[in-house]
Amino acid sequence: MTGTGDGSRIRTGIQVLDERLKGGFPRPSTLLLFSDKPTEKRLFAENFAVQGAIAGEITLYVDFFRAPTLARAELSRFGKYPADRLIVVDAVSSQLMVESSEPYRIKDIDDLQEICDVIVQAIQEQKPSRIVIDSMEFLADHFPKDAVLDQWKRIIDEAAKVRSVTCFLFINWTYHERDLSAIRALSDFVVEFQSSMRGGILRNSMRISEMEEGGIRTNWIPYAFKDLVGVTVYFPRIMVTGPFNAGKSTVVRSLCEKSISIDRMGTTVAFDYGSVNITGIEAEIFGTPGQERFEFIFKIFAREVSGVLLVIDASRPEDFERARHMLELIGPRIPYVVLANKSDLPGALAPDTIVRKMDLPDGTPVVPTVATESKGVRDALAILAEMIIGVR
Amino acid sequence: MTDDFHPRIIAVLQELRRIPDVIAVALARRDGLLIAHVLPKSMDPKRIAAMAAAIVGTSEMAASEMGFGAFFQSIVDSGQAKMLATGAGEEGILITMVRTDANMGLVLLSVGKAVQAITDLLEQAVTPPEAQA
Repeated sequence: MTGTGDGSRIRTGIQVLDERLKGGFPRPSTLLLFSDKPTEKRLFAENFAVQGAIAGEITLYVDFFRAPTLARAELSRFGKYPADRLIVVDAVSSQLMVESSEPYRIKDIDDLQEICDVIVQAIQEQKPSRIVIDSMEFLADHFPKDAVLDQWKRIIDEAAKVRSVTCFLFINWTYHERDLSAIRALSDFVVEFQSSMRGGILRNSMRISEMEEGGIRTNWIPYAFKDLVGVTVYFPRIMVTGPFNAGKSTVVRSLCEKSISIDRMGTTVAFDYGSVNITGIEAEIFGTPGQERFEFIFKIFAREVSGVLLVIDASRPEDFERARHMLELIGPRIPYVVLANKSDLPGALAPDTIVRKMDLPDGTPVVPTVATESKGVRDALAILAEMIIGVR
Repeated sequence: MTDDFHPRIIAVLQELRRIPDVIAVALARRDGLLIAHVLPKSMDPKRIAAMAAAIVGTSEMAASEMGFGAFFQSIVDSGQAKMLATGAGEEGILITMVRTDANMGLVLLSVGKAVQAITDLLEQAVTPPEAQA
């Protein structure tokens, strides 16, 4: 029971990412979790470790900052995992000069050779499928560069022998660009992290790049953390818009388990709101009114938009002009999917006809939907999610 | 950088919450996303944030349409309670819920103080996003 299908891939547990990665990270491989400022990248590593333990894989966590008991307690925020699957290398109790009964314990924290010997011993004996080194900047700050790079390579080699996927956490504040490129070259994947705060709201995002020529590259993917759920891809705002009476509120309702609509006499006067949680994606859905007199509502909500679901009535080409205009109200360069709603009505146009009549760029996704029966709506969201995450 | 932002905001909200007859307090961004809240479990903070943004946005629009000058706050006056949605700096909306028979003089004074504190905190807590490639 490895939880990895044929065992050649390691799942991140974030479903939508695993799909992009064709089932996860290949075994063996080396991941560099990188940022140049403090960010929430440890969340990704901890989630990765716990997902492994939950799947029954042996996971090795090397922690230079927390005592094993604390590390285990904090890791349990990501979900309940079998304790014997997660092995912590204790690098802290000797720093605190307390007793430790951990099987892998670093006795002298000032001895780089000893530190790495313990890690390598743990790798050889336990043959983990996942390894997290938290973190390399601890070593980079304490020891000479060349020695650290040599040991870094040694850990990679040992991990490759047991076909492990190894995550190195690394914030750079000491090394120059040349050393950094050497470190990137040691890695198969670089996962970059950034955090920014605007108007009191903190946003975390990550970007995955495969180092190999022509490898996978994603856009910046926003993510969030929730207790006991772990890390999910998180879109803070998906806008549902389109002309009057196209079925926007029905789309929001059919996507979201719980939603609210501020409507009067059958038409939305303020907005619809709901949240969805499917296939490892969490999204907040905001529906706009369709009528022109409520256009000012756009100004309130059209900010930090991750993507747009443009709902049109496929049987009313006279409204297509208006639909295009609404797309422009939200702003340029935002991924969108057209929902050709009411596609069951007589006179509903086919997707390619809609692309032509609306004069949309070739390849614009148009999904036929029947929102009243929830048909096609989730597919449209999945396509939009793919566009936002982006893989090339 | 941003580590202590959230606890400090919560402290301001809690202080306002302690005023007699104040039932609940939350802080939303003007575009309807939630920043922080001290609301009872029975309320959905995200929805309240979105609604407050729509109320404030609409009210602000109405005030400017009628030539009333700068917008300060909207009050939703209902059977059992009032909701005050007060602009807090460029970005924030302070949402304060009070019982109908609350001493509004005291409430408005406390809301004003909280708005000032929040405005300062929000101004400090901006880290520019890095270039999105």
